[in-house]
This record gives sequence, C-alpha cells and structure tokens, in this order.
Amino acid sequence: MYEYNGFYIQSYDAGQKGLAEAYIPMQKYISSYPPEQGLRRGTIFPELDKPYIEEKARGY
Amino acid sequence: MMDANQVALIKKIMELDFACIDLNLYLDTHPDDQKALRDYNYYSQQSRSLKTQYEQLYGPLMSFGETPSQCNRFRWVDDPWPWEIQY
Repeated sequence: MYEYNGFYIQSYDAGQKGLAEAYIPMQKYISSYPPEQGLRRGTIFPELDKPYIEEKARGY
Repeated sequence: MMDANQVALIKKIMELDFACIDLNLYLDTHPDDQKALRDYNYYSQQSRSLKTQYEQLYGPLMSFGETPSQCNRFRWVDDPWPWEIQY
C-alpha cells in the first residue's frame, strides 16, 4: 500500500512502481504486403504481423 | 451459384478493400505520409475499377443508390442471400 496524490494505492507487486506506463513508437510506413497476403495475414504491415506462437513466446 | 470468375473478382475486391482499410487506419495518424497516400490511392482506384467491372457482369455490390442500374431490372433482388454464398 502506498500514497499517491493523496490516495492510497495497493499494487499487487508490493513495490513502489506505478501501475502502468505505455510507450508507443510512431509507425513509419516503408512497404506493405501485396493485398492478397495482407488479407491472409490480417495486416498489410509486415511490422505488425506478430502472431502469438507459444513455442517462440516461451523460448523453446 | 457464383461462377469461378465471379469468385475470383470478388476475392480480389476484398483484398484491395482490406488494403485500403489498413492504409486508412495508418493515414488517420499519418495524414501527410506521401508513400502511404500514393499506395492508398492506387489500391482505391484498383478497387473502384474492379467493382465497376464486377457490377456490369453480376449486378450491384451495394444498394441504396450506390450504383445506378445498368439494365431495366433491379438486379439487387437477384443476388444470393448471404447464407447462400459459397466462396
């Protein structure tokens, strides 16, 4: 439990860190998938084509 | 039933429209990005010309005044119902 702006806040990590602070870099468009591939992949931007693949995510 | 050419055409239109949607989302936050604008215009024109071609052969893709009728029948009613479409 800690005090922040006059309010008491309980964060689950029991540390003093803030709950969340997001940083989103601006996207720079360089090239796109061809339309057919874009529709299949769900995005025309290669840099946003990030399917969740469990093995990779868990570093198998 | 949709013939092979109709399916091919409508798939191409869907691909182009998807690219336009994605680029539109990007352009929302990058309205001055010339490359994105160029690609957006290219895909948009491609999509428009394929839609015109499709509609001459198979009737309107959208109703409510989107496309004037090219014959003396309101072909909108001849389209398959959504559940009848097999791609």
